[in-house]
Amino acid sequence: MTVKGCEPFLQAYDIDVNNGDTILDALHKIKDVQDGTLSFRRSCRSAICGSCAVNINGAPKLACKTQILPEFEKHGRLTIEPLSNFPVIKDLVVDFDSFWEKVHKIEPYLTPKESSAKTKDKDGFWIIKKQDALKIDDVSNCIFCGSCYSACNTMAVDNQFIGPAALAKVWRFAGDVREGNNKKRLAKVSEDHGIWSCSRCVECTQVCPKDVKPLIAIEDTRAKAIKAGIKDNAGVRHVESMVDSVKRTGLLDEATMTVKTLGFMRSLGIIPLGLKMEFHGKMPLPNLFKSIKGIEEVKKIYEEVEKKGSRVKAGTHPKDGWGS
Amino acid sequence: MVSHDVLIIGAGLAGMRAAIEAARQGLNAAIVTKVHPVRSHSVAAQGGINAAIGENDSWDAHAFDTVKGSDYLGDQDAIEIMCKEAPKDILELDSMGAIFSRDEKGRIAQRPFGGAGFPRTCFAADRTGHALLHLLYEQVVKCGIGIYEEWFVLSIVIEDEKVCGIIAMDIRTGILHRLQAKAIILATGGYGRVYRNSTNALINTGDGMNLALDAGAPLMDMEFVQFHPTTLKTTGILVTEGARGEGAYLLNSIGQRFMSKYAPNALELASRDVVSRAEQQEIEEGRGIDGCVLLDLRHLGEEKIKERLPQIRSLAIDFEGIDPVKEPIPIKPGAHYSMGGIKTDLSGATKVKGLFAAGECACVSVHGANRLGGNSLLDTIVFGRRAGISASIYAKENNIKEFPDYQLKETAHSIAVITNRRQGERGSVIRDELANIMIKNVGVFRDKERLFAAKEKIKELKERYNHVYLEDKGDIFNTELLETIELKNLLTIAECIVLGAINRTESRGAHFRLDYPKRDDETWLKHTMFYKKDDEIKIDYKDVAITKHKPMERKY
Ligand SMILES: Cc1cc2nc3c(=O)[nH]c(=O)nc-3n(C[C@H](O)[C@H](O)[C@H](O)COP(=O)(O)OP(=O)(O)OC[C@H]3O[C@@H](n4cnc5c(N)ncnc54)[C@H](O)[C@@H]3O)c2cc1C
Ligand code: SF4
Ligand code: SF4
Ligand code: FES
Repeated sequence: MTVKGCEPFLQAYDIDVNNGDTILDALHKIKDVQDGTLSFRRSCRSAICGSCAVNINGAPKLACKTQILPEFEKHGRLTIEPLSNFPVIKDLVVDFDSFWEKVHKIEPYLTPKESSAKTKDKDGFWIIKKQDALKIDDVSNCIFCGSCYSACNTMAVDNQFIGPAALAKVWRFAGDVREGNNKKRLAKVSEDHGIWSCSRCVECTQVCPKDVKPLIAIEDTRAKAIKAGIKDNAGVRHVESMVDSVKRTGLLDEATMTVKTLGFMRSLGIIPLGLKMEFHGKMPLPNLFKSIKGIEEVKKIYEEVEKKGSRVKAGTHPKDGWGS
Repeated sequence: MVSHDVLIIGAGLAGMRAAIEAARQGLNAAIVTKVHPVRSHSVAAQGGINAAIGENDSWDAHAFDTVKGSDYLGDQDAIEIMCKEAPKDILELDSMGAIFSRDEKGRIAQRPFGGAGFPRTCFAADRTGHALLHLLYEQVVKCGIGIYEEWFVLSIVIEDEKVCGIIAMDIRTGILHRLQAKAIILATGGYGRVYRNSTNALINTGDGMNLALDAGAPLMDMEFVQFHPTTLKTTGILVTEGARGEGAYLLNSIGQRFMSKYAPNALELASRDVVSRAEQQEIEEGRGIDGCVLLDLRHLGEEKIKERLPQIRSLAIDFEGIDPVKEPIPIKPGAHYSMGGIKTDLSGATKVKGLFAAGECACVSVHGANRLGGNSLLDTIVFGRRAGISASIYAKENNIKEFPDYQLKETAHSIAVITNRRQGERGSVIRDELANIMIKNVGVFRDKERLFAAKEKIKELKERYNHVYLEDKGDIFNTELLETIELKNLLTIAECIVLGAINRTESRGAHFRLDYPKRDDETWLKHTMFYKKDDEIKIDYKDVAITKHKPMERKY
């Protein structure tokens, strides 16, 4: 609860619950009968408008889609709080201003490429093949509920990070065969606080109620940026150092990698961030790695890949990455 | 005081489409909306948007289906415009980057919909509204149109019979603001929350219709409320007509495809009013299951369900615990769409100078007594665009008017009266009683007795409304206050629906009187007009525009 002139506090309510009732039903029951002052956002009550995301037992979820009983049975309690990483306005209502600012920053609209007889039919409609449409199918499901933004670990330490929802939206356009402005778009999100700032913790993909998979979108965007030759940034140097690290040791030495990525002086500069990351349980302990068994295998794989002249696609396996 | 050339109230499809048009005309346009644009109810539209873009289809055929679907109450000049302009509007959405589902050749796919003689519904899986609303939001951002987000409009200010602006509350601070405008477009959507079983968002409370009445602009055909045949049992959440378009069956408790009795040719794809009545009759005659009939998708196969109806599948699983791949879904009719609304001409103009309307809150009328699925999204785009253009022309020809001070004082006072009340009744009680009586007495089947009982009840609830009190006395995000203002709008809308339904002693489209089961063109081939005078609703009638299609018996 937020009450004017008072620190936020938790308030307990008792309610009767029917099988199938959602958290949103509970909030309405409380508001209608017990406490008219309780404020929360809601509109569609069918998981499509993105209004009602809140933290339920610590995890961001849509109140309208989450059933009470299974949630209660799993946790033995029901704590409903406002989303994290957003300033609170009142009770469960949070301030989305910076969320939207970031969405706007990525220029969230298609800049159509020049069309030809191949790309458009005689009536002027775009021709889009199914496999091309599929590339942006997941990201086009985003409802801007903010759940991913709330769960994002990078966001917690870098509030300028553009965030998983806006980055998924980048891929919505970058992955669209009709887009004609990719070079600029990709360069822009390769800057600081963009695609390369994501620590690949997979939280966004895990909490998303619409299966948008922002992390996959981020990785697809990274790959596309590299392919487009946009390499002069910390993120790409990081990936290159990662490739190097794996080649040398078969393991990732993340502490060494930070130094390589940013150069020594700036590496010192990011120590506070490192400490913050540790606080969130994300900082890898500096390690003097011994090579793992089978390092010869790893080296061979890299040699093969390099021989073929192809580039390792940046992180196609979200769960295997560093920092997870 | 801030002023704009064109002020658009509502950020659904109609509002944003209108705003884009005003911005294109080089005007200073801004949108005021009580929720962030993408939270608007257009986002929930599932099945699709109609346009005759198929090889062998024609706008003429589309127009005829629409006229017939409207049970001949739709104005044919307006219907012709909508159907003729539809293909170009779809083309424009496509070039903006809309994500429409495609056929094997990569062209926009079209599915069959109820009451249509041709598969002419374009769609984005079963998330068409989401795809289009996000698309228009993107375009609004691109055009740099200002948005007063989470501002609640309380009144439209009129001086000398012309608009001069609005008064709106910034929900975050509770502060009332004046915004001046040369032209105003209402695009506030429907009122589905008048009914207990409704597919509509909780924010659909008919605010704009009441604002228009107060400003002196009449409403039209309010007795025509569409009940959608397939809504989920416990939540009323919609299962798109696209499900039947893809081939789903309706079954009763003894496993019959009962639509063969009611619409031998069109079966499940008869017009919505026909299907809803058939279901209701099956249920009332004892062939329902727990107040529902069944929608069976199983024979479509898992792959098709996942590709074409993915959202329906997750909604059924998440909200009803049923996987349509394995089990039929229990469904029943629920309030869905408002055919009636603020009366406008073909350019979106209302009776008040400078005041325009578009989308579900408006009534041109293209839907008459019953709307065809896929025609409402089209209505928002075609007439949103048209209202945007004509409001812009009006704004170019007129100046900003002086904003009278007393209006702000009056509005502030009317709110203070509610917030200062120390005791009384909670608004939620009145809201629930209203929603219950409306579904029970003013639903799919109506008769004199039930309608009069509803009228009495609404009178009582209106009286009780004068004693509503709030527990939340705060300024910041006071949603209890907003709900109370919305309740006032719901009460007015309900009264219009009931009065219109009492007078109309015939059955046409979605308005079915058990005591007058026949259509009566002689007396009732006309529109009902609603005016507000001294807080009383007055009724009048108006002719229907008929061009090509003389009324015929309607069979599916
Ligand atoms: C579940 C569902 C599915 C549907 N599926 C289809 C379909 O497949 N095909 C089809 O053609 N039609 C469909 N419809 C109908 C169609 O979606 C709606 O009629 C249409 O989207 C309405 O759009 P709109 O722009 O008029 O209003 P809305 O999208 O409802 O927008 C209203 C706007 O007004 C604002 N507003 C309201 N009151 C105030 C106020 N007091 N102050 C400030 N702002 C205010 C709101 O914030 C909102 O932005 C469906 C409807 C429902 C309920
Ligand atoms: S990506 Fe998913 S979690 Fe994030 S805003 Fe979109 S829908 Fe919500
Ligand atoms: S994977 Fe990246 S964007 Fe997603 S939550 Fe983790 S840090 Fe944030
Ligand atoms: S209320 Fe719309 S997503 Fe929950």
